[in-house]
Parts: sequence; C-alpha cells; structure tokens
Amino acid sequence: MDIDALTGCLASSACLVTQTTSGFIIGMLLFLVAVGLTLIFGVLQVVNFSHGAFYMFGAYFAMTAYQVTGSFALAMFCGAAGTAILGLVFERVFMSRVYGGDVLMQLLVCYAFVLIFDDLVRLVWGPEFRSMGMPSAFQVPPLFIAGGVVPPYYLLLIGVALAVAAILGVGLARTKIGKVIRAAAHNPGMVSALGINTGLIYGGVFALGGMLAGLAGALAAPVRSLTPGMGFSVLIESFIVTVIGGMGSIFGALIGALLIGMIRSYGSLGFPLFTDGMMYLFMVIVLVARPTGLFGKEVA
Amino acid sequence: MLEVKHLSKSFGGVKAADDITLSFAEGSLTAVIGPNGAGKSTFFNLITGALRPDSGHILLNGVDMAGRSPPDIVRHGIGRAFQVARIFPSLTVHETMLAAVGADQRRASVLHRRFPLAETRDRAELAMEVLGLTGKRDRTAATLSHGDQKLLDIALALVLDPKVLLLDEPTAGMGTEERWRMIDQVHELWERQKITVVFIEHDMDIVFKIAPMIVVLCYGRILATGTPDAIRNDDAVIEAYLGTEHAGAAA
Amino acid sequence: MTELQAERARERTIESSAVPRIETRSKRLRYIDVLIAVAAFALLAALPFLFSSKALIDFVIRCAAFGLFATSLNLLVGYTGMISFGHGMFFGLGAYGFGLIMQRTGVPIPVAFIGTLLITTLVAAVIGAICVRLKEIYFAFVTLAFQMLIHSTIVSWTSLTGGDQGLRGGIPRPVFLGIDLSNQMHLYIASCTLLVSGLLLMRQIAQSPFGYTLRMIRDNASRASFIGIDVWRAKLTIFVLAALFASTGGIIMSLFVSGAYPEFAYWTISGEGIFINMLGGVTTFLGPMVGTVLLLILNDTVTRLTEYYGIVLGIVILFFAIGLRKGLMDFMVEWCEQRRDGAKERA
Repeated sequence: MDIDALTGCLASSACLVTQTTSGFIIGMLLFLVAVGLTLIFGVLQVVNFSHGAFYMFGAYFAMTAYQVTGSFALAMFCGAAGTAILGLVFERVFMSRVYGGDVLMQLLVCYAFVLIFDDLVRLVWGPEFRSMGMPSAFQVPPLFIAGGVVPPYYLLLIGVALAVAAILGVGLARTKIGKVIRAAAHNPGMVSALGINTGLIYGGVFALGGMLAGLAGALAAPVRSLTPGMGFSVLIESFIVTVIGGMGSIFGALIGALLIGMIRSYGSLGFPLFTDGMMYLFMVIVLVARPTGLFGKEVA
Repeated sequence: MLEVKHLSKSFGGVKAADDITLSFAEGSLTAVIGPNGAGKSTFFNLITGALRPDSGHILLNGVDMAGRSPPDIVRHGIGRAFQVARIFPSLTVHETMLAAVGADQRRASVLHRRFPLAETRDRAELAMEVLGLTGKRDRTAATLSHGDQKLLDIALALVLDPKVLLLDEPTAGMGTEERWRMIDQVHELWERQKITVVFIEHDMDIVFKIAPMIVVLCYGRILATGTPDAIRNDDAVIEAYLGTEHAGAAA
Repeated sequence: MTELQAERARERTIESSAVPRIETRSKRLRYIDVLIAVAAFALLAALPFLFSSKALIDFVIRCAAFGLFATSLNLLVGYTGMISFGHGMFFGLGAYGFGLIMQRTGVPIPVAFIGTLLITTLVAAVIGAICVRLKEIYFAFVTLAFQMLIHSTIVSWTSLTGGDQGLRGGIPRPVFLGIDLSNQMHLYIASCTLLVSGLLLMRQIAQSPFGYTLRMIRDNASRASFIGIDVWRAKLTIFVLAALFASTGGIIMSLFVSGAYPEFAYWTISGEGIFINMLGGVTTFLGPMVGTVLLLILNDTVTRLTEYYGIVLGIVILFFAIGLRKGLMDFMVEWCEQRRDGAKERA
C-alpha cells in the first residue's frame, strides 16, 4: 500500500492529468469491449464468455495487417472487420444451437472456444509477447497539458471510442435497424412473427459486439503487448464493467468503464499489488447495494 | 370466518381494489366472478399477502392478516391454488405431497433423517386421495396433464390444512367436459373437507350450477353479492357483465 | 353417481390391493448408499496392493480433493439451482487456512482441520448472507467477485501468504493417533476416508427432508415460500455446508502438494468445478465424481500428448455441450431408462 504516492499525485496537476488520461484510455477500451458484451446480453440474453477472444483477435489481426501493409488505417479495419466476421460465424454455427437451453451449456460453449482460440493464437503467432509498435503517424512528441504528459495517440483512442458511443446511442435509438434490434431484445417472438429474420438480427448483433471488442483490441495494439492470454483479463474487467453499469445498458457500460478505468489508474498508484482487489471490492460494493447494477434493468 | 373490511389497493391512478367489504361464512362455497380486469386476482393477491393493501383489514377468525408475509398468512390457514399451476416439476406427485406436509410440520430443515418422514405419510395420502391423484402418485409432476397439474396445485394448497382455500380459476384452460369434472372434484372436496372455499370462475354455467353464493366484482368494487337467483336478476350485474343470456326471468 | 365418482370407485378397487410402491422400495434402498460407500472404501484401500503405482495413488488423492469440491458444488447447482461461479474460493481458503495454521501454530493436524472448517464457516456465512438473496446470474457474478477479491488478497498479502509464490516451506505433519501424513500411504488412506465419508455426508444431506426442501426451492422458489419454507435461510445453510466440503477438498490438496498456491483460489477452479458437473451430469449424485475422474484423466492424458491442451479440451467440451447436451451420468441414466421402458413395451 502506498497512500503517500496517491495523495501526492492528487496534489500535483501534472500527475492528475497523466493519471486521468491513463484512466480514460483504460476506460474507453473497456467501454468498447463492455458495450459489445452488454449488447449481446441485452438482445440475445446470452452472457458471451468468449468475448475476450474477439479483443485478442482484433489486436492480432491489426498487428499482422500493419506488419504486412504498413498502414494504420488498414490495420484498424482488418482488426474490426475480421472480428465482425468471426462473431457472425461463431454465432450462426455454434451459439445458435444452445439458445433457450441451459445457461450452463451456453457458458460451456463459450469457455470451450476460449480454450480453442487461445491455443489457435499460440499456434499461429507463437506464445511470446509480441508488439505492434506505434505507427509512424503517431510517433510525434507528446502533448503537455497542465504539466502532464499526453501521447497524441491517446487522444485518438478516446476520440474514436466516444464517437462509437455516440453512433451506437443514436443508431439504436433513431434508426430503423436500431429499433428492430431493441424490439428483438424485448420480444423476439413478435419480431419474428412480423416477418423479420431474427437469425440475421442475432448474427448481426453478435457481429457488432465482436467488432467492437475487436476494434478495442486493434486500437490497443500499438500501446499494449500482445499475448495469447490477453483476452482473459480484459474479459473479467469488461464483465465487471457490464455488471456494475447494468447488463443491457450502454450508458451504464460507459459510466462503469470510466469508473473502473479511474480505479485502475489511481489504484495502481496507491495499491500497486492490490489494484485488482480494488476493482473487485468496488464491484462487490456496487452489487450489494444495487444487484442489477447502476443502470441495469430487471432481467425478465 | 373470513372477513374483509374496506380493502383498497391502487396502482398509480388505477383502483384495483376499491373499498371491498365481504364476509365468508365458515364452510361456505363462494364464487367470485366479474369481467376481465375487475380485480379478482388482485383480491386473491391481497388476501394471500402477495400484495400489500393500501388500507383495510383482512380478518381470519378475528386475526388481521393485512400486510403480513405470504408464508405467515399460509401458516394462519389461508391456502391458494393458482391460475397457472405452480408446482415442482421434478418431484413426483407423492414426493410433492410428502415434502409439503413436512414443510408444514416445520420439518423442512431436518438433516439427520431420510426423506420421506414417517409422520408425513398420512396427510399426504389423504390429500392425494381427496384430489383423485392416488393412481398417479409416482408420476413426475412435469409429466402430468394440464388438468392433473392443476389438481396437484390444489392438493399442494390443501395439504397444509387451510381454513380457507382460494382457487384461482380452477377450470382455466380446459375443455367443457374436463371443466365439469374439475368443478365436481372441487365440489366434492368442499363437501368432504368442510372448509371455506372461494373460487374465481368465468364459466357462468358452472358458477350458477355449483355455487351457493356469488360475489360480483367490477372495476375493483363489489357490484353485487347473493345467491345465484338474486345475481341472475340483478339489473346492474346484467348490464355490466351477464348480458341477457343468463338473466333470470325478467319482468 | 356422477361419472367422476364412478371413475374414482374403479380406481380405488385397483389401488386397494397394491401397497404404495414408493414406501417399500425406499425402505429397502434407503441405506444402500452406506453399503456402497463401505464397499467403495474397501476397494480403494485395496488398490495400492493390487497395483503398485505411485501415479495411481497420486491420481486417487487428486480425485478425492476435486471430487469433494465438485460434489459440493453440485449441492448448490444441481439440487438448489444456485449457480455459483465463486465456489473455488472455499477450496483455496481450505488450502491456505490449513497450511497457515500448521505452519504458524504448533497444533495437531485434527485441530488444524477443525480450525480451518471453522474459519470457512465464518467466511461462508458472511459472504453467503450477502449473496444468496440475489437472483441467478447476479448471484453468479457476485460470488465470482468475492472469489477474485479473495484471490487478490492472497496474491498481494505477501507477508502472510507468500504472494504469487504461494505458501513455501512445506506443511509440518506431526504424527497423530499413529497416523503419519508425510507417509504417502497414510495420506492416501486418509484422503480416501475423507472422500468416502464426505460423499456419504453429502448424500445424507441430499436425501434428507432438507434435501427435498432444496429441490423445491430449485423448482419453484416462490411456491416453496408459500408453503412456509424460509428460502433465504435454506440457501444460506446449503451455501455454508457446501463451502465446508469444498474446503476439505482444499485441505487434501494442500497436504498433497505440501503447500498452497494462489491458483487454488483462482476462478479457473470454479470453472473446472462447473465443467466437471456438466461432464458428469447434475441430476445424479455421483455425476460430479464421474466428471472429476474424467476431467483428471483428460488433463493428464492430453498434457502428455500435446502442448495444445486447450484445443483438445475445448473440442471435448463442445462434444458434451452441443452433442450430448447433458452430462455423462445423465446420459447413462436416460439411456438405461429408455431401454427399460422399451423392454416393458415389448413385454
């Protein structure tokens, strides 16, 4: 425990800026992953335990695409598109077989794929830590805000995440597809009776969720190291975010993600060994007070 | 035996129960009828503790049940069977009865003996016999027909030795012939057990044939109470609910 | 006489000659599980003399540890319908609790054993009181959160637990009642004893009136409440009882590896517990035991053959989840029943 480091930081504006930005980054990446999770749960009533694998594949696809083409934009695109396709296939071929059945069976299918995917990545890319490196476009001097160091790439990351949040929020609320998706979440039978292909909707939502996680992985690739197990810690944290924010709530995912991001960032200063513990403690407190999460709806 | 005094419950602006005052004599058989949304199920929910009344009293032999928890109310002697049978799908009929008796005898937490307890057999046997389920004792509840599941549901309420038995649409979901068999069963049960029975019913033929007393609810209020003849000739009831098909000989 | 009365009269004549089946059958079979337990123990005790293989001895000890854990989880999942993702915390608590008590105090092993169980009771009671009122998926998440909280505490409290290195220095094993647990054979017999008696105790719980109360809660908690059952108290009770057996499994594990590691409290233990239950089946009492043996065999065989253990395990899981759609014991029971019904129809 190092409370002095924590209080010292809170007194310094430079440290505040650095830590808050860092918290934002963690939070925004988590948000992208968590929002996919919460969407899949909201519409399909499925807890996608293999969600972390999409994050992982997004990162690896992006890294390989960058190494092959040298283009950052293409790398991002490959990361996102690749995982979208993966999500669609996964849902149509495997998940659709275990809907409506035992929750445990669904969990097991996801768990099985976590094991398979992790090993596949190990097979293809090797078990060592890999890195993508910062693309040359962003190898510029960092910005100094109030004395704190802010790499420009971080700003891009935050910007993209916020844009996604806005598009999602508006898209689901205003567009026809958004309305159909929300309707399917409430009453799939009715939507199906109206002649809309629910299979396509389910596949689409899974693809969207997977794509978001993949995008997060792709965005994180330049600033994180890649390893076959990287999906897992992200999964646990995004679960915590989703559960704290409330399953099915996009806004909840945003708030939850930011909170967890800040806890991680400042927590690693004050409680370097117990940072994970701080997160779990926070989760326990929130869930005991509000079992459905901060903005959650009652599950039917 | 069971007295309801000025029972009221509102949901937002809707008065689901509006100043209901009723009295059910010991050993009586009463039917509660009324159009959909009249508040019949709400009335049952209030009496059994599933809903908390806004005001009013529910007196079972003088003891006020209003606001108590459902298990507490069950212990005092108000039993209920549900519109959609709420049973334990994986237990057999016999196991259901034995377990329920055990729970009523406050032996639900016994760890050191084996199920079923010897002292639970008799009451379980009797409840099955009264509802005609003895032949199906080893059938898993999930495999029973819809009608038998409803009988099991009633047996589950009955096995706790209630003073008052509330049956929520016992014939719901059944064809005509099955309805009559079910209601015959209910009638026989009432005659044999000599307990107070109140049942919600939609089939007017059945109601007028079987029930000595009828209560008509409409918009949460009591429209009329009385014998089948009185109800049949009540203008307000005819206008609100019965139409002229069941009306008695009018002037 | 109405049709109904006639029908009933007919039924009564048929029934009066038959003695209710459930009573005689259950009287005979009621305590047959004690006989099976004794026979199983005798078999296990004889094993080392039939096959002098250290690997087999080790395998059985590990089966004892995980078997107790998995069966106790089934009491929660299969019998009560409480899906806990954090049950592994009690396995870890048992291992660390016992290890720490033995290392730090000089008490005899039986005392340390009881002490560990007491600590587990306390922790389980507190956590259970908070969690059991939650519904389904939220119960699962909060139990997982508590487990990870405990895991984080273990990893960061280096001075007490050795951090992510685990409890070092081995576990002292003073001889008690002539039993020397540093002797592999003694440890083997002790583990088998704990396994068989643990399973027997859990069987008693499952077949007691309380066990049927749990089934009622699983099938329809609100109706159970209507009948007068205190659902919260029943759930808390089984949560604590299950924790005790899981803890015992952890104690066996700590004696086996002569220490305790943070992995014993990691979520993967809970995950394996759930997986074992699905493998073996949750509708039979011995399903989890079968699942334990299967998983351990699978683990050992596959890790020997390939380093890509994940792919193989994943495919096996898919086979059970998508193919069989039920555990092995469930499948067998259904298959036997179908054959029996088929024979009856033909007869």
